[in-house]
Amino acid sequence: MSVFGIERSRSLWHLILAPTIWAIHFCVTYGMTAIWCERAPAASGDLRLWILIVTAVALAMILGVAWRAWRQWDYTDDYDYEHDGPTIEDRREFLGHAGFLLAVVSVIGVIYVALPAAFVGSCG
Amino acid sequence: MRRRTWQRRGASLLLPGLLAGCSGVQSILAPAGTDAAFLSNLFWVMLAGAVVLWFFMNGLMVYVWRVNVGHMSSRKAEALIIGGGIVFPTVVIGVLLSVALNAMPDMRAEGTGTRLKVTGEQWWWRVEYWPEGAEAPIVSANEIVLPANSRSEIGLTADKVIHSFWVPALGGKTDMFPGRETRMSLEPLKPGTYRGQCTEFCGESHAWMAFNTVVLPQDEYDAWLDAQAEPAAAPASESAERGQAVFLSEGCGACHAVRGTAAAGKVGPDLTHLGARTSLAAGTLPMTQDALVRWVRDAKAVKPGAEMPAYDHLTEDELSDLAAYLEGLT
Repeated sequence: MSVFGIERSRSLWHLILAPTIWAIHFCVTYGMTAIWCERAPAASGDLRLWILIVTAVALAMILGVAWRAWRQWDYTDDYDYEHDGPTIEDRREFLGHAGFLLAVVSVIGVIYVALPAAFVGSCG
Repeated sequence: MRRRTWQRRGASLLLPGLLAGCSGVQSILAPAGTDAAFLSNLFWVMLAGAVVLWFFMNGLMVYVWRVNVGHMSSRKAEALIIGGGIVFPTVVIGVLLSVALNAMPDMRAEGTGTRLKVTGEQWWWRVEYWPEGAEAPIVSANEIVLPANSRSEIGLTADKVIHSFWVPALGGKTDMFPGRETRMSLEPLKPGTYRGQCTEFCGESHAWMAFNTVVLPQDEYDAWLDAQAEPAAAPASESAERGQAVFLSEGCGACHAVRGTAAAGKVGPDLTHLGARTSLAAGTLPMTQDALVRWVRDAKAVKPGAEMPAYDHLTEDELSDLAAYLEGLT
């Protein structure tokens, strides 16, 4: 079943996808750093490049989620923040609204998690 | 009127206590090293920011509750929530994070001058100085001497339990683990004496596990290190000579080393230049004859759990001779 171009069964994903990408990015960068610095501490330059790549991919994915959540929220249609009615539209817009805000938080989180690699150049 | 007086009295009693934390030998607010200066600047900047923010937020609350009730458009409110609630904190935290991260590599930079190794014991500090090219260290204990205006490399480890090394006036703290070596570097700027303290609970006398850090100008430091490498001074008085005999006959040398004598124990602190240190029993007592007598007579009474047995079977004369000998080990 499709409502306003987005399948109803998929609308819930917009709520949890962005924080999930943030969590995976966190585990991957920290895990990668721990293993890399234990096995090849001299090659920390490559590690930083990889963190940059992983971060760019994560941000691109979250921005994609944010865009879809933004459309699901459909804010520019009626500029309203109120979706507490017992209707399909309200439910859909609420999930889109919350998903969009979670995507914003996830972007900030991913940037903060990656920030040390920008400043700390070596494993020491 | 009476109430006023009491308030004033209360404030006058409280203030010195509060302000005492701002200076002294063990305060992050009285920095004497590069790293501590950075940390204290960061603290003041954050405190100033927090004060401004506190007044701004409370002012805002008064404004919307009392001054301009119900006049804010939803556009304005939206801008305030997004700008003040999301963008502003994100930028402020991002800047603070970046400033702190940017300083971390400098703080962890490898020391270029003196190299030393400190081992946390229960409850004292084993200190080894490794001058350039040395094959064996110059061993000391319970006091750290560093040259000013030079970054010293400090290797850290522990004997049985985890300890933590911290000289607040000079820099941050680093944990010490048994079987593992961690490291830090410190760059003191002002000559002086600064107190350090174990900051990881390590047993019953954890609170008594302190040390003084003496910062000397480079040339004085070099002379000091040369003197540390020398064996112990011979007893300079008859009392000290008798004290040395007591020291050897009581078996003190089984645990303590006094280089240049038969005492070569490694269990307890090296005493070769004990008298030259500024404190006794890891920052617990002053380096005086009275304190030495008190310590030797019953170490556990001063420092619960200390492994040194009590020598309360010695006579007062023997104890004071021993103290004279130990104090003469400069």
